[in-house]
Amino acid sequence: MDSDPKGDGLRVGVFVCDCGLNIAGTVDTQAVTDYAATLPDVVCAIRNRYTCADPGQNEIKKAIAEHRLNRVVIASCTPLQHEPTFRTCVAEAGLNRYLMEMANLREQCSWVHPSDMEGATRKAKDLVAGAVARARNLQPHDDLSVPVTKRALVIGGGIAGMEAALELADSGHQVVLVEKEASIGGIMAQLDKTYPTMDCSI
Amino acid sequence: MNVSGYIGNFTAEIRRKARYVDPEACTACAECAQVCPVVKPDEYQMGLSSRKAIYIPYPQAVPSSYILNMEDCLGTNPIACGKCAEVCEPDCINYDDRDIIVKRDVGAVIVAIGADVYDPTEMDEYGYTRFDNVITSMEFERLICAGGPTLGHFVRPSDHERPKRIGFIQCVGSRNPSIGRPYCSNICCMNTIKDTLLLADHYPDVECTVFYQDIRAFGKSFEDMFQRSKEAGTRYIRGIPGDIEEDTETGNLTLIAENTTSGKIERHEFDMVILSVGVGPPKDLAKISSLLTLSKTSDGFFMESHPKLKPVDAPTRGVFFSGFCESPKDIKDSVCQAGAAASRAGALLNAGQVHIEAITSVIDADACKKCGVCASVCPYGAITWKKGEVAVVIDAACAGCGNCGAACKFDAITMRHFTDAQYMAQIRAILAEDPQDKVFVFACNWCSYSGADMAGISRMQYPASNRIVRTMCSARVSEDMVLEAFRCGAPVVLVSGCHYADCHYITANRQTVQRVQRLWNKLEKAGVRPERLQLEWISAAEGQKFAKVMAQMEELRKTVTEEEIEYTIEALKPKPRKPKKEKEAAAVAG
Amino acid sequence: MATMENFKCMLCGHEYQELVEEGEDKERSCPKCRSNSIRHLKKRASQGDSDDKGKKTE
Repeated sequence: MDSDPKGDGLRVGVFVCDCGLNIAGTVDTQAVTDYAATLPDVVCAIRNRYTCADPGQNEIKKAIAEHRLNRVVIASCTPLQHEPTFRTCVAEAGLNRYLMEMANLREQCSWVHPSDMEGATRKAKDLVAGAVARARNLQPHDDLSVPVTKRALVIGGGIAGMEAALELADSGHQVVLVEKEASIGGIMAQLDKTYPTMDCSI
Repeated sequence: MNVSGYIGNFTAEIRRKARYVDPEACTACAECAQVCPVVKPDEYQMGLSSRKAIYIPYPQAVPSSYILNMEDCLGTNPIACGKCAEVCEPDCINYDDRDIIVKRDVGAVIVAIGADVYDPTEMDEYGYTRFDNVITSMEFERLICAGGPTLGHFVRPSDHERPKRIGFIQCVGSRNPSIGRPYCSNICCMNTIKDTLLLADHYPDVECTVFYQDIRAFGKSFEDMFQRSKEAGTRYIRGIPGDIEEDTETGNLTLIAENTTSGKIERHEFDMVILSVGVGPPKDLAKISSLLTLSKTSDGFFMESHPKLKPVDAPTRGVFFSGFCESPKDIKDSVCQAGAAASRAGALLNAGQVHIEAITSVIDADACKKCGVCASVCPYGAITWKKGEVAVVIDAACAGCGNCGAACKFDAITMRHFTDAQYMAQIRAILAEDPQDKVFVFACNWCSYSGADMAGISRMQYPASNRIVRTMCSARVSEDMVLEAFRCGAPVVLVSGCHYADCHYITANRQTVQRVQRLWNKLEKAGVRPERLQLEWISAAEGQKFAKVMAQMEELRKTVTEEEIEYTIEALKPKPRKPKKEKEAAAVAG
Repeated sequence: MATMENFKCMLCGHEYQELVEEGEDKERSCPKCRSNSIRHLKKRASQGDSDDKGKKTE
């Protein structure tokens, strides 16, 4: 795997996000940034106000070019929210999507330890250290690409299922609509008039 | 019904139920029903009128065809009955019709399985089963409908007289934690307001009284309807009745309620009482949930990928939600969500191809000892193996849970992007300083890690001693990963994953249980307190449980002494083994 | 065949018995503290059934 095409050895960049006060209000993000700079193979550690915003992302891209980074650690929020964002960001700067790692300093740190700044900061440092250690072992990968069968299955023939099926069919897709009862219509078909229009349901 | 596969490439097996009437040929002439001798309660009319064994669910039904209910039918044998087939001119009745399994490949799935209306039988305080003139709001719909059993003449069941004084009770089966329904059903306030306006329109002399906790009329033009209902003479009394009495002579009902505005206990007499019933998750939800590996929130509705930003995406890629099954909503909101789900599914179908994360398992053919354990633990059958041959992974079928990687004793399996080397480095780095202060937590991506996020989103607080590491599935956590955390000085290690019903990798977390059981035995054998290894199932919705467990783990951590930790580090050190067991030792040292 | 098996909660220490159906697939939690850290205690073969009355049932 060609994770180090330039033969530079590992060059890790760490980006610590304030998330306004969401993280910085509880975690001493400057201390975390300073700590990150001391970790093995870390060649730059930068603190951002909002890493996910354009200026934050531009800073990452700039640093990748400037410091010839080949691993990126972003210490911000949960990867379940922004991992795709930052993967795209590093990819735009020419780095493989899989060479980016996140540390969750918001949902799993600052937001749950608001009355323990010292404990939260210690935890944040450890999470960053763990992420950097993991990042140093990351390898580039290519996503698998698979074809999509151009047909949809809609389970349930009530108003929600019928509407979805019609919408898909109108846009040219084949739809399989499954209904367990003898007729489509669902509960709505049993109603007399419906609000707010006071017209018939069927 | 069965669904297998993954985003873009699902295969659905659908049971096409026998109708016993050919829907193409049926002209809906009704001759069959006229001769059918069987009389059954009509489900469509809420049992307020009857249908035959061969019937059309309602005149506007689609397909517009009769259907024979075989359970009601006297017999398929012409000697037993067979009257309907005799009179059917197009000859479309076929007693030998059978269920057929239809297979369809699909790229996307929209789940729109709706809701079940609450049955108030269990809430005896309203006398639904005891008093004729207590009906539900669903029964009201049929009684006021021109297509209903009374052709829209609104009468009460006891004497078929038109009621004048009508009482509505709100929140029957909603906002009531004592019956396990703590949530607001969303639609009932507006439905009752609609009912009062309908009654006022049909019968200007009707007097409606609504007993409520709060009137929730927040949607577009809802407040206007509420005001019109009041102007039409509907009385709104804040307070839910605690009891109901029936006058056996007249069939009239008296509701006893505390009017919380005046603070007084009031008695109100009515000719009829309508229970504004709530709506809940459908019975079939658990079944569909396990078919598509979905999860549900604490109130029993499906859980979306993100409550705010991905409200129609299911956690399983390629699956989308529409309508009530995701959360209580009215027709307009159902239509909105249907459009959104169709658009999300359409985007996937239009793209024509989809990227799958490179997190699949890779087998090193040289290191593989051909034992087949990986194939036996794979919940997807994604690993093929024959005795005496190297195991092979089918990439497209592999979901990346990592169970095989954790199970392989010979280090022959690499989980791409979640390798042993990455985890070991992460564990060592996190526990490098003052490990005695830290609770080491493995959390599965789909449930426990999301549950930890949920605790954060809800701003729950818990001790800061834990250090959380994400694995795709709890079954990715190998014995060695746990032992390594102990070797690095962790006082407590927690392995956490999805509840059994929610496991995102079908049944992979059963292997987690096996592994933890083995580890407890190993720790005990080594003289280490097995209690220091803990196991918890925490769903993505259980932020509160996550916070509670973190507090418990911190309490447990405090009981672990420095001496214990020192001993553990020594005791779990990989020892040089006898030559015979060299291979295993090498695997443990990984 | 169902057998009576011994379990121990590894969080609160509560020990209890439960009827286990053959091949059952069930999430376990402590009847006292709800923890999922439930250890399946193996029967000690050498001691036999004599000191574990009622352990085995149909």
